[in-house]
Amino acid sequence: MKLKLLLIFIFLVVPLLVMAQIDPCSYAVSGKVLDIDTKAPIPNAVIKVDGTEKYTTTDTNGNFKIGGLCSEKNTLIISCIGYADSTKDHEHDSELHFYLTQEVTNLEEVTIQAQRAKEKGTETISQVTVGKAEIANNPTQSLAAVISKEQGVTFISTGNNVQLPVIHGLYGNRILVLNNGLKHGFQNWGTDHAPEIDITSANSITVIKGAAGVRYGPEALGGAIIVESNPLLLNNPFYVNLGTGYQTNGRGYNANIEMGQGTENWSFFANGNYTRIGDRNTPDYSLTNSGKEERAFSFGLLHHLNQWDFKVNYSFVDQNLALLRSSIADSPDSFIRAINSEEPIIINPFSYDINQPNQTTQHHLAKAEINWWYADNARLTLVGGIQLNKRDEFDVRRNANLPIIDLDLVTYDYQLEWKHPKWSGLDGLVGVQYFTQNNDNNPGTQTTPFIPNYNTDRFSAFAAERIDFGKNTIEAGLRFDFETNDVRGRETNQDIFRDNYNFTNFTGSLGYVRQLSENSTFRTNLGTAWRTPNMEELFSFGQHGFKTIFGLLRFQDNNGQLSTDEVIPLDGSDVDPERGYKFINEFQTVKDGNTHNLTVYSHYIENYIFDRPIGVFGTIRGPMPAFFFDQVDALFFGADYTWKKEWTQQLSSAFGFSFLWSENIGDNDPLINQPPISTNIELNWNQGKFWKFETSNWSLRPSYTFEQFQAPRTITPESLVNGSATLTTDSEIFDFADATEGYFLLDVSWSFGFKNLDGSIAVQNLLNTSYRNYLNEMRYFADEPGRNILFTLNYRFKSKNKNE
Amino acid sequence: MKTIEQFRTLRLMALLFMGIAVISCSDDDDTPEEENEVEVITDVTLVFTNTADASDVVRASAQDPDGAGIQELVVDPAGITLSTDATYTLTFEIFNNLETPGEDIGEEVAEEDDEHQIFFSFTDGAFANPTGNGNVDNAGDAVNYNDQDGNGNPLGLSTTWTTGANPVAGGNFTARLQHQPDIKSATTGAADGDTDFNLSFVLNIQ
Repeated sequence: MKLKLLLIFIFLVVPLLVMAQIDPCSYAVSGKVLDIDTKAPIPNAVIKVDGTEKYTTTDTNGNFKIGGLCSEKNTLIISCIGYADSTKDHEHDSELHFYLTQEVTNLEEVTIQAQRAKEKGTETISQVTVGKAEIANNPTQSLAAVISKEQGVTFISTGNNVQLPVIHGLYGNRILVLNNGLKHGFQNWGTDHAPEIDITSANSITVIKGAAGVRYGPEALGGAIIVESNPLLLNNPFYVNLGTGYQTNGRGYNANIEMGQGTENWSFFANGNYTRIGDRNTPDYSLTNSGKEERAFSFGLLHHLNQWDFKVNYSFVDQNLALLRSSIADSPDSFIRAINSEEPIIINPFSYDINQPNQTTQHHLAKAEINWWYADNARLTLVGGIQLNKRDEFDVRRNANLPIIDLDLVTYDYQLEWKHPKWSGLDGLVGVQYFTQNNDNNPGTQTTPFIPNYNTDRFSAFAAERIDFGKNTIEAGLRFDFETNDVRGRETNQDIFRDNYNFTNFTGSLGYVRQLSENSTFRTNLGTAWRTPNMEELFSFGQHGFKTIFGLLRFQDNNGQLSTDEVIPLDGSDVDPERGYKFINEFQTVKDGNTHNLTVYSHYIENYIFDRPIGVFGTIRGPMPAFFFDQVDALFFGADYTWKKEWTQQLSSAFGFSFLWSENIGDNDPLINQPPISTNIELNWNQGKFWKFETSNWSLRPSYTFEQFQAPRTITPESLVNGSATLTTDSEIFDFADATEGYFLLDVSWSFGFKNLDGSIAVQNLLNTSYRNYLNEMRYFADEPGRNILFTLNYRFKSKNKNE
Repeated sequence: MKTIEQFRTLRLMALLFMGIAVISCSDDDDTPEEENEVEVITDVTLVFTNTADASDVVRASAQDPDGAGIQELVVDPAGITLSTDATYTLTFEIFNNLETPGEDIGEEVAEEDDEHQIFFSFTDGAFANPTGNGNVDNAGDAVNYNDQDGNGNPLGLSTTWTTGANPVAGGNFTARLQHQPDIKSATTGAADGDTDFNLSFVLNIQ
């Protein structure tokens, strides 16, 4: 049987025991490489001593020994080209772990985290993974904030609680969020709905930066975010992790617990999390009504048989998120006042209370998964999932106690995947999926539904194959989707409207990886993807937040005469689904402690849909600012660069730079709300022992975000109200306020370990800089939060009795 | 025959999958329930009634027939034409005519009187009483309110206006209803809370 082509590189610094002092080249290192999951020895792993020609491979028991070393400290590179032990040879959908046993290094157990195996069908696409340790250091932040430190990734937000990931300028339902293997089924429209995912329960978060539509389906047009929960390891002694955190800005606190155990055939975990944050404050004032409260709970159970795995997961998240009180402007006067005011109009003393405007969501996710390794290197996977998302949004209005939006969204998801045995050198995955969503408005909002009731059904089939020859890998994929949508809504006079529309689509992707040398890799991928316009883009009508917005099917422009009094059927409109073509290239080289990674991409999106201001229109309250959805052909071009350098064994740095250029190429106009250029450098000092602490790490992270140089022109609402600008859909794009100025931020942190305890003190915005973030919709009204000191403490208990 | 068994299991799994798919494919056809819009005001009429002659009624109206839709507001181009040396009571007709029959929002305002106040602004000196230019710019300025809420603060659904001997041509008269939940007090002004309507008419006194 051929070896699996999973390549893993590990860098490990092992301080060796001094064996003999006389001959300077008489040091030796020996050890054992085991799979921490199955505890099975890993044979044929290549152990190379960095900077020398010395290497060896592990024997059938996983043992290795390298002698004749001239240095007391060595860096070992362990490259494991799979391991061919018949039935245990399966990817457990988890990370592979290795550890060197105690007698080797005379250290406590050393665990080496191997680089994650890339998801099938995305191996030629640039991607990054954020691990558990980094997530645990900041338990009160959002999913989007965790990954936003990566180059090319940022977040767009509505206030401080609602943050949506942005990959290469795209967000919302152009980015697929895969929550524990299922597409997160939530109200994914607008910039004020973020995925309801408890990050403290996540084991890792992977960002796929290319069009991953073949593997994950529509909506992965701009990329995918894969949130993995606990890997449910077998043969894992009982453990309990307790964590707590406190943050000064907003006086937020957090507590979380996770426990689990793995025996030979069973594994379980359970965790819970509670977070509460009050009103945040900027350097100069309190952000009244900006707190949040979140409860989360999840568990998982795995039963492992010789060739079978049965897995069940459930997770629940309950959120109550406040939105800035001063962002509510339901008249032109209050909008003009709010947008022109240096400070928000309403500033009250600190409070934990969450008042209107706010949103409450409960998200339930239940999933069952069966894996069957029916032959060597072949697997069948059946996944079934149900998600229930209940969302209530409250606004400042008459009957403020009644939700203005009250939706229940039920999502069913079925996937059958076949990882077929190698066939003529082809290695791949074939799958069928059925996905269905049912959205219903609950009565009693006393307002016309902003989003209609709808049912979506989608049938899909895909194949993603790869073939290797020499140092080259080619990956190709094809997908077929058939989608039906059945929509029932109400017009403002309460008449019912209905619409029915179907789409049939093919998507494809082609990628190539070449191992240029021992140190350098080049990957390239051309992917297509498509996306149905979402319900807000099609059917929204009226006020939502401070915007009065009209969807593509609610808006008619008859020779400059605008009307919104009828709903156009999609088939009779000129609205088309979005189609994206993304070409992404990554070059990575690792040499002498330097890692350079350059990703360059271009992304052409046909029928790109976005919302923008169109002007003001007369209402009984006075002239109101209006927004509408527009559909254009857009081009995105950008680059991400990181340079990591290990200056000494203790000192390292990482420099990052992200650049994005985007344009509506149909009209040669800029787009709006696009991420500005940003750069940062992170300095890390691994101090080792410090005072009573066994480990001590310091980091310093200055970053600079530039002003968006491609922002549209500014037309103030005053000039529209007094008539110096008029309402037309053809006039050049504009914004109500200038793009925010560039800003410099400085973050520092210190983390430590002491026996089973580790913790950190992190200071965000150390200089207490006042700034506004161009990607925050609240930029019209308020500054970003000022200095925040975050304390976290984690205690790990692990029982000693191993099941061996 | 291991492969045949495997094939059977595979087929079973495929059947199971299709079974689940068919079961959950049953689409409902629920429409959203009819909602009684409470937010919308489509028609506002100012009614000036001469206190000396109940048959002398001057009406001026503004209409936004599609509510939240983009259609422009239509304000009575004739405006308000009052007689000199007369006293009028100003009342309002406030309706949501998206509903059939139209909903009287004025009743709702009267019920929630502790959350609402109507403010006025007009051409400086247009009236003999109140004098000045109204209380939009400065809440303490004179307006003759005939009604008040439970806390003794003015409401404005009924006000009294006395014209002087001097005619006014092409002046301005603005009425502005502010919604001030939890904040209405003796000192809150036209800039506090949110605007329910804000309508300007041409004012002639002849």
